[in-house]
Amino acid sequence: MNADGPVVNVHVLFFAKSRELANTPRSKVDLPTEITASDLLELLVSKFGLTPIRDNLILAHNESYIDNLSERILFKEGDELAIIPPLSGG
Amino acid sequence: MDHVKLVNDPIDIAHIHQLLADEGCGASSVFVGTTRDNFQGKKVVSLAYEAYDSMALKEMNKICSDLRSKWPDLKHIVIYHRLGTVPVCEASVVIAASSPHRSEALESVSFAIDQLKTRVPIWKKEIYEGDYDSEWKENKESIRPKKSQSAFNYAACPCKVEESHDVPRTLVQIRVNDAELTKRLECFVNRKRDEINSQNVIDFKSSFVNSDKDFSDSCARTQSTIIKQEQSNSHLKVRRVNNRCGPQQMEMRPNYELELNKLMGSRDGQTDPSKEMRKSLPNSRLQAIESYMCLTTDNEENIFSRIKKVENRLLQLESISPEYRHFTKLEPSSMEPPPPKKIRKKSYSAQELSAFIQKIKDGSEFT
Repeated sequence: MNADGPVVNVHVLFFAKSRELANTPRSKVDLPTEITASDLLELLVSKFGLTPIRDNLILAHNESYIDNLSERILFKEGDELAIIPPLSGG
Repeated sequence: MDHVKLVNDPIDIAHIHQLLADEGCGASSVFVGTTRDNFQGKKVVSLAYEAYDSMALKEMNKICSDLRSKWPDLKHIVIYHRLGTVPVCEASVVIAASSPHRSEALESVSFAIDQLKTRVPIWKKEIYEGDYDSEWKENKESIRPKKSQSAFNYAACPCKVEESHDVPRTLVQIRVNDAELTKRLECFVNRKRDEINSQNVIDFKSSFVNSDKDFSDSCARTQSTIIKQEQSNSHLKVRRVNNRCGPQQMEMRPNYELELNKLMGSRDGQTDPSKEMRKSLPNSRLQAIESYMCLTTDNEENIFSRIKKVENRLLQLESISPEYRHFTKLEPSSMEPPPPKKIRKKSYSAQELSAFIQKIKDGSEFT
């Protein structure tokens, strides 16, 4: 993963079910500066053991939802990623 | 003014009303979402809410700006959401709006709670009484990944979609889970079965009155009609249908000859009863029947096998009557026109003719 290209350190936040599966509310992970959303999701799912809910997860990059999984995400040092399971507010 | 807050203490509704108050507003609408005490028969003790605080506030503010662009007359908007443990029957969310007229206030609040359930990153976990495991809830409105995230990367394979969406009416795309799909298939099969069954009934029992109907697509070999008559329980009239496509037709039909052979226990041509009998029988009558039935005949054949052939033919005709002539392809019939009788024409010479005339003249003179 870290073999090619520059990497940046990104904060990862976990909530609800994903927090329970990852067993932590936050973590840090080294990511390439550019990655497609679907690859990113795969990477996070396998790294943090989120397989049971992988099909229902949505990511938020710097507090904005990543709607399109084919989108290319550009990371800067210190960016914030959130793992968002289905919402249940209200 | 927009009031957006995540709170850890009970929400004071009176305070919300104060926030909404405005002299120019004739309407204020307040939605209060409270926690239920039961879920699928399990008693809920309390609910634990958590949020991605910074993003939740951001999304709630976005909802406010969306409301203002949709309903510019809105005066005050309040979105309060409670976090942490919330006992049952307490307010977990309050959305309120004030406006000069009621429709904006009512519609905007309804729109806002839908948006909150869809977009604002807040989660709740129900804690049940007894030994039930607590459960993270999921709003049906919740934002969800758009594509199925199977190992195959669909995004890498762009699929050209035709501009015209002329999908044949017979094709339907269905996106459901396996259980739902199985259920639908079952329903479909059952409905088709019912349809076929009812069609079969119609095939068999159709009214004579509508006999101008085309039955060529019917599989039934018979049609029947109940004709009610006095002093009677049932009067069923049956008629046969000319159906060349039906499964019972032609090739599929049992081999009557074989069946009859079995019944008679006879081996064709091997049993040869008294030759006297054959000779004594006037064959002409049988021949007439045979030619009428388009059977090739051979006078030397065993009389019983000839009769059997006639019987076979009768059975066949019965099964396909009355229009059998149109579709029975038989050996070339023996009904060739009989050779014309040779009548010798006598030719007379001129002398003979004059002698003949003379004879008549003389005769007339004598008489």
